[in-house]
Amino acid sequence: MKKGQMEILGLAIVVVLLLLATVFVVRFVAFKKPTDFRKDFVSSEMASNMINTFIDTTAKDCSNTKMADLLRDCAQETGLICNNGQGSCAYVESTATEIFSKTLDQWKTNYEFLAYVDRNSPLIELGNACLGQKKSKIYPIPLTPGAMFVKLDICG
Amino acid sequence: MNKKAQIQIFETIAVVIVFFILVIIGFLFYANIIKGNLDIEKEELSQLKSVAIAQRAMFLPELQCSEDNIIRENCIDILKINSAKNIITRNQIYYYDQLEFSDITVSQIYPSEDQWTIYSRETIGYRNKFVTNVPVSLFDPIKKTYGFGILTIETLTK
Repeated sequence: MKKGQMEILGLAIVVVLLLLATVFVVRFVAFKKPTDFRKDFVSSEMASNMINTFIDTTAKDCSNTKMADLLRDCAQETGLICNNGQGSCAYVESTATEIFSKTLDQWKTNYEFLAYVDRNSPLIELGNACLGQKKSKIYPIPLTPGAMFVKLDICG
Repeated sequence: MNKKAQIQIFETIAVVIVFFILVIIGFLFYANIIKGNLDIEKEELSQLKSVAIAQRAMFLPELQCSEDNIIRENCIDILKINSAKNIITRNQIYYYDQLEFSDITVSQIYPSEDQWTIYSRETIGYRNKFVTNVPVSLFDPIKKTYGFGILTIETLTK
């Protein structure tokens, strides 16, 4: 190869390197997407507040009993019957369905709500298991003996 | 001036023109990248601002439940709502500093449905609108019961 050809080849390599650098800069600087700060805040607040608020809610047809007490009764099977004729488990399930249909379902947020003593046989199960990322909150309710757990996963 | 010299001058002029065209194209490209980055930063700042306003709204002492001076988090006392609305209307400048252009509403969804607007200040020509829904307990101090509510904070940023 002659000296002139070698120089041209060197120039061509420099041009290719410059092009690659430009593509790299354009890819990572020009097309940078904004970080979604709100998403994390909203989903973590949603999971923790939703479950805390639900547990504290007073049942309207059950002698002012809180959901936490109804869940405890559901786990211990003491046979509490609410004014509308439903047992504690059915009452909590219907209330949770009503609340989630007016909140999470309306906001098109996927979720999984579980109340269990043994994880493999939940007492109440609503929604569908999250396949990808999720924010999870577990609320333990003490029983005599042991404890039960109420868990809410917010998907996404 | 001979013909060869004239051709060389035109050649030089053509090279200078092409050079300046390339400089202008490069400058426009750079300016676009800078503008894009500024837009992204603006968007991120708007998001942070909306989170800050949402947190301020969630912890407004004018609405929070308290018993024996102990504050209960994520709880709104429904008897305080009307008083809070009056206070906010009478001190608009102070609350504008806190909540800027936003709409704050409390909706009760259980045991019955109800809605209260706590603060509303809108602007025309806003760039972003962020809606944050936060579940809150709604305490009725007369019946000593807790309802299930949603605190909705809509933030408008330019």
